[in-house]
Amino acid sequence: MGDSSVNRREFLKTTATGAAAAGIGANIIIPGRSHAAKKTLRILNWVHFVPAYDEWFNKKYAVEWGQKNDTEVTVDNIGIAGVNARAAAEVSAQKGHDLFLFNWPPPSFEEQTVDMKDVYAEIEKKVGKPIDLAIKSTYNPKTKKYYALSPSFTPDPVNYRKDLFGEVGLPNGPRTWDEVRVKGAEIKKKRGNPVGIGLANEIDTAMAMRTIMYSWGAHEQDQAGNLTLKSKQTLDALKFVKALFQETMTDEVFTWDASSNNRAVVSGKVSLVLNAISTTRTAEKENPEMSKQIQLAKALKGPVRAIGLEHVMQCYVIWKFAENKEGAMKFLVDYVTNFRQAFVAGEFYDFPCFEKTVPDLQKLIANDPKGHPPDKYKVLDDVLKWATNVGYPGYATAAIDEIYGTWVLNVMFAKVAAGKASPEDALNEADAACRRIFGKWKEKGLV
Amino acid sequence: MATLGEDLRAPAAGRRFGFVLDRPEWLGPLMIAPAVLYIVAIVGLPFLLALYYSVSDISMGRRTLGFVGLRNFISVVPTPKFQTSLQNTFVFAIVSQVLVIILANILALALLKDFRGKWLVRLLILLPWVAPISLGTIGWLWILDSIYSVINWTLEAVGLITADGWPMYLGKPYLAMGSVITVHVWRLLPLATVIILAGLTSIPKDIHDAAQVDGASFWRHQFQITVPLIRPILLVALLFGLVFAFTDMVVIFVLTRGGPYDTTQVLASLAFFTGIQGGDLAEGAAIAIFLFPLLLAVAIVFLRIARRAEVT
Repeated sequence: MGDSSVNRREFLKTTATGAAAAGIGANIIIPGRSHAAKKTLRILNWVHFVPAYDEWFNKKYAVEWGQKNDTEVTVDNIGIAGVNARAAAEVSAQKGHDLFLFNWPPPSFEEQTVDMKDVYAEIEKKVGKPIDLAIKSTYNPKTKKYYALSPSFTPDPVNYRKDLFGEVGLPNGPRTWDEVRVKGAEIKKKRGNPVGIGLANEIDTAMAMRTIMYSWGAHEQDQAGNLTLKSKQTLDALKFVKALFQETMTDEVFTWDASSNNRAVVSGKVSLVLNAISTTRTAEKENPEMSKQIQLAKALKGPVRAIGLEHVMQCYVIWKFAENKEGAMKFLVDYVTNFRQAFVAGEFYDFPCFEKTVPDLQKLIANDPKGHPPDKYKVLDDVLKWATNVGYPGYATAAIDEIYGTWVLNVMFAKVAAGKASPEDALNEADAACRRIFGKWKEKGLV
Repeated sequence: MATLGEDLRAPAAGRRFGFVLDRPEWLGPLMIAPAVLYIVAIVGLPFLLALYYSVSDISMGRRTLGFVGLRNFISVVPTPKFQTSLQNTFVFAIVSQVLVIILANILALALLKDFRGKWLVRLLILLPWVAPISLGTIGWLWILDSIYSVINWTLEAVGLITADGWPMYLGKPYLAMGSVITVHVWRLLPLATVIILAGLTSIPKDIHDAAQVDGASFWRHQFQITVPLIRPILLVALLFGLVFAFTDMVVIFVLTRGGPYDTTQVLASLAFFTGIQGGDLAEGAAIAIFLFPLLLAVAIVFLRIARRAEVT
């Protein structure tokens, strides 16, 4: 090699020296540059069921907030199936996002999260109190800690086919669970369209079965957090689901997954599902004719009450190991107080946990240009009166979370519906499982 | 220009390195060290961590862990959910492996022959193994879907089933178990085929020629020549497949999540639901490693038999 060529070692030496010099030079020319680096805020959201929301949040709101607060905001989106695994990985590595969004309450992560008491208080000063549903889903009464903050929740109304229910004399849809059973059976017999309420190991089934239980006055726990699953009311709810399945449904409901409600209604196959309004929004885009037939109804009345679950509970946590806790708190306060933008961007999918943040909510949902008819979503105007949390009438504790996440109640109902276990046997098995789970979490001091 | 000192130093370093290269007792460990380090870092440490988790009280949101002995095992093993999952695990693993070995042998025998387009067939057979498993399984989810199943659509189109008589592949316990086994076999078949094909090509042709001259039938060729000669490699394929079937949950997680009513729940998926979704990492770890002693014993026995067969 000639003298003019540069070997690898020399090249590295030269470039390293040059880079160092450039760095020093820049700091001399622009004083303070090295220690006034822009703050960063990393947010993890799950992929929203309404794509327009992610578009707004990632490309508009987060960017504008970053500009106003001299912060570089990064938003990552992951599928809902990966949320818990991702959270576990971040906790294990003690590194990750500053703000982490769960799609259901995450009480088992309590020891890793910052207490949101002050954030709740700050928001309360600006826009008033949060709804009870938010507190029940983010507060642990045992440790007196707000392990998360819930800006919004998603209602879980009845989605029914107006044409089919009209044919059997209920053009405005069913009002009671008994009407679903009787008229659903009539529709199935007459037109071949079954009812589509899941009985599988998945989240929609978990919500639907609790909705029925709570309407029958059956609960996993009482207000004080004592296990109360084994009751006459639960047995009655089990018997009802068995009858409902046999008279109105098919084995298809055992195959249900988180997208089945949408597929089954939009394809025109089923007469009724319980789902968030993503179903009607999908129909508006993909099948406008069918969209005219799919209408919404309030929570159905059971023997004890008319009650519905939240379909999704948006719960933000700030990890104790987050690098920008202050930024994350400020972002949350700003996001919640400006929630009206999110409500509109998400096409009414997410309802506010702080009511006053969307003062014209009633007006907005009463006249939606995309809806058929425009007041289709007006039925949700009193949703706060009938929407409740997993674990009602108590809190969404770590034990309730494990019962939910391991599908204990889903399997109990499915076994009875399929005739694989008597209501009594299935209840005994589920009760034993719940007892064991409650015992474990009591020992860990979280319940 | 290099100095005299530099000139002398360079060959000295070379000599030192050359000394290592010339000594088999150094070279062997040196060459295998990266693989050992890789296994220790990627498999060994997480495994030891899982072992420790299984005898601790760790939960997903907790980093401190207290030793609780076998309490997690004692608590979870007697539950009906665990017992059902254990039973399902054996059914899933054994049936799928029997099918994999039979089908892989047939495929490997077919691929041993020369025919036009053989490269294309080989490529197609390898595809399930090459493609990401979650993607492939999502494809199967659509094929088996209750509304859009292409199988049912075809069966209805040719008049074999009626519109209201569509089988619910993932909604009936036996059909669901059959479906997850089918997809698992589809996934593992390429690996087993390639392994067995490698074994078949290593059999000297003159052994088969001699048997041919003696008038041996096809089955005699198979069971008295081929199978005994490829037994070591067949056992390796079987071992790989069994370990995979006993420990993997992707197919079940995507297709059924253990349903209908836990009839396809296996220990691997139950461990995930308990540990990650339910938050009890310790119990999840206990479920996940429950079969480790059995799998270890099976691996030792299989490898010993394979080694013995190789020596004789």
